[in-house]
Amino acid sequence: MSNRSHSVSEASNASYKASNLSFNMSQPLVHLVVILMSLAWVLPTLGLLTSSVRPPQAVANSGWWTVFLNPFDFTQFTLANYRQVLGQTGMARGFLNSLAITLPATFLPMLLGAFAAFAFAWLDFPGRKALFIIVVGLLAVPLQISLIPILRLYSRAGLAGTFAAIWLAHTAYGLPFSVYLLRNFFGSLPGELFEAAYIDGASPAAAFFRLALPMSGAALASLGIFQFLWVWNDLLVALIYLGGSSSVAPLTLVLSSLVGSYGQQWHVLTAAAFVTMIVPLAVFFSLQRYFVRGILAGSVKG
Amino acid sequence: MFKRSLKSALVLGLVVALMATGSVALAAGKTITMMGTWGGQELEAFQKMVAPFEKSTGIKVEFTGTRDLATVLTTRVEAGNPPDVAALPNPGMMKELAAEGRLVDLSKILDMKQAKKDYAPVWLDLGAYKDKLQAIFISADVKSLVWYNPKQFAAKGYKVPRTWDEMTALSDKIAANGGTPWAVGLESGAASGWPGTDWIEDIMLRTAGPEVYDKWVNHDIPWTDAHVKKAFEIFGKIARNEKYLYGGTAGTLSTNFGDSVNALFTNPPRAYLHRQATFIQSFIKQNNPGVAAGKDYTFFALPPIDPKWGTPVLGAADMVAVFRDTPETRAFARYLASAKAQEIWVTSLGKVSANKGVSLNAYKDPLTRQAAEILVNARVFRFDGSDLMPAAVGSGAFWKGILDYVSGQDLDSVLKNIEDAADQAYTSGAATNK
Repeated sequence: MSNRSHSVSEASNASYKASNLSFNMSQPLVHLVVILMSLAWVLPTLGLLTSSVRPPQAVANSGWWTVFLNPFDFTQFTLANYRQVLGQTGMARGFLNSLAITLPATFLPMLLGAFAAFAFAWLDFPGRKALFIIVVGLLAVPLQISLIPILRLYSRAGLAGTFAAIWLAHTAYGLPFSVYLLRNFFGSLPGELFEAAYIDGASPAAAFFRLALPMSGAALASLGIFQFLWVWNDLLVALIYLGGSSSVAPLTLVLSSLVGSYGQQWHVLTAAAFVTMIVPLAVFFSLQRYFVRGILAGSVKG
Repeated sequence: MFKRSLKSALVLGLVVALMATGSVALAAGKTITMMGTWGGQELEAFQKMVAPFEKSTGIKVEFTGTRDLATVLTTRVEAGNPPDVAALPNPGMMKELAAEGRLVDLSKILDMKQAKKDYAPVWLDLGAYKDKLQAIFISADVKSLVWYNPKQFAAKGYKVPRTWDEMTALSDKIAANGGTPWAVGLESGAASGWPGTDWIEDIMLRTAGPEVYDKWVNHDIPWTDAHVKKAFEIFGKIARNEKYLYGGTAGTLSTNFGDSVNALFTNPPRAYLHRQATFIQSFIKQNNPGVAAGKDYTFFALPPIDPKWGTPVLGAADMVAVFRDTPETRAFARYLASAKAQEIWVTSLGKVSANKGVSLNAYKDPLTRQAAEILVNARVFRFDGSDLMPAAVGSGAFWKGILDYVSGQDLDSVLKNIEDAADQAYTSGAATNK
């Protein structure tokens, strides 16, 4: 089995090299475009970073780029914004709450989505296509329309304001994309593999756990990153289903309460943005080698 | 390798989740949940205000602040899961909730004798819907103020104007001396344009009077009415006048309302006058450390235009409404209505109190005391009209209309556009054509 997965990754390496060759023809142009695009993406973040280490009155009176006029004048920088954000009461609690919300709300849709995707890809049952189209169609439905009916169910069941409520909600909101991405990836796995396994007497469950899952690390990782980022950065869903009392409030809620009702003290949000970014960045970099392969998952269906 | 890290992460997730749910169970005691728009300093002041209550009753108040209160609160109320108490930013929202029967009648909870002693009738009327007291006011912001730098005024020999004509003459004089009279900033993200709506409302009160103002807010007169047109034109004499504005109309449209006031504190000053509510003080202090209230900045009441209507006060206020009638919320509502609680709240934020029990001496800085005096002495007080209109107009077409008008669009078509939106949004009002 490990042989086969090896050959799969070799094949993808080969096609990667082939495409690299054709890129060589117009490399300078490509480089220029890539550099320009990266600049366009990085520039706002750089501005944010610079603003986050400047005192509020400087932010209000001059542009962030002005610090580069004399970049070695360290008196123009301050860590006061970071101190204020990290010293905010409830920060540690919010961090813990965010983890408690995000980890299950990332793994549940991955796991359930993988079950469903496998069934859609490799099991034969009546209405398979129609069901799949319905699930994919859900991708286009805005989650906001479900807020009131679901909260109504939750408050009747006594779930409102509990972590279970938000795990379920995020799982449901994440499932259509999860099923869609994984089904296409599973569909691209070689069918002979499963036929051989079934001939050897494997059950669908065994085929799923011992063949499909181990070969899908890349797809699962990129799905995990998407779902993790979405849940980690979420404010609305938490605000509605959790209600925001300090024992359950995630980091996003704690940070949004730093700013006054007229937007006073918005400058601390610059520092807050970088504080919240740490965990998603760590997740991204630890999984990034799977990411590029995973993102191609749907596009190279064989 | 991947599988192992997945497993350990899953285990970690469950452990964290269990820890968290466990402590939720521990924390369950007597709590009141409350929602509002406050954050930052406001949240700190709120916690200061409720601390004595929590200490004496043992009830914990859990506050959630969101600047998107209208959406979140409506959703939670509709779903039958409202917070116990909410701080509402305007009577419009209170009326909508009261009309649906979602709010508790406070006259059954509060000591009404004391309430009538503490509040002028106008404040109890503003908090009432169909003869039921649905909300109490814990503080107010006075909006009809013009901020200036007294040192610069003294240096140039400028005098505080007492009438609108004097103010125009002063503006001309400043412009003739090579200065720029006004700093106006209309940018406020998705809410851009709102600072201009306050101008129109103030001018409406000063030219047409409170009764026409109420008709306008209720859409009993259309936006194309001569009164409304006149108010826009008077506003336009300042806000479309390139000589009057720091940064011209382009600067006015693109400068954030909280930053525009900074123009008063440069040397030489980039501008001399800035019309904004009491809350601008927190922006001034934050962006210009070292400036002192009273010495480097102070205000005068936006002067009258037509002597018949005097100097009306436009304002905003924080009101508290109760969704659930429990012994805890009763105690909390009584506490919030008291002068003792409001004194803590208003003095930490530079707001003014509508409660007569809060003595003028409680205001530590002279400016807030002065604002409180303006509020107490006002013969006419009106709520920020855009907050009372349906959201599609008051926080939509009106804002956009201000931006269109200042950027040079023809006034008749601006008013026509707002009128079209009003026809769609209002369900009542004599001027509403369906």
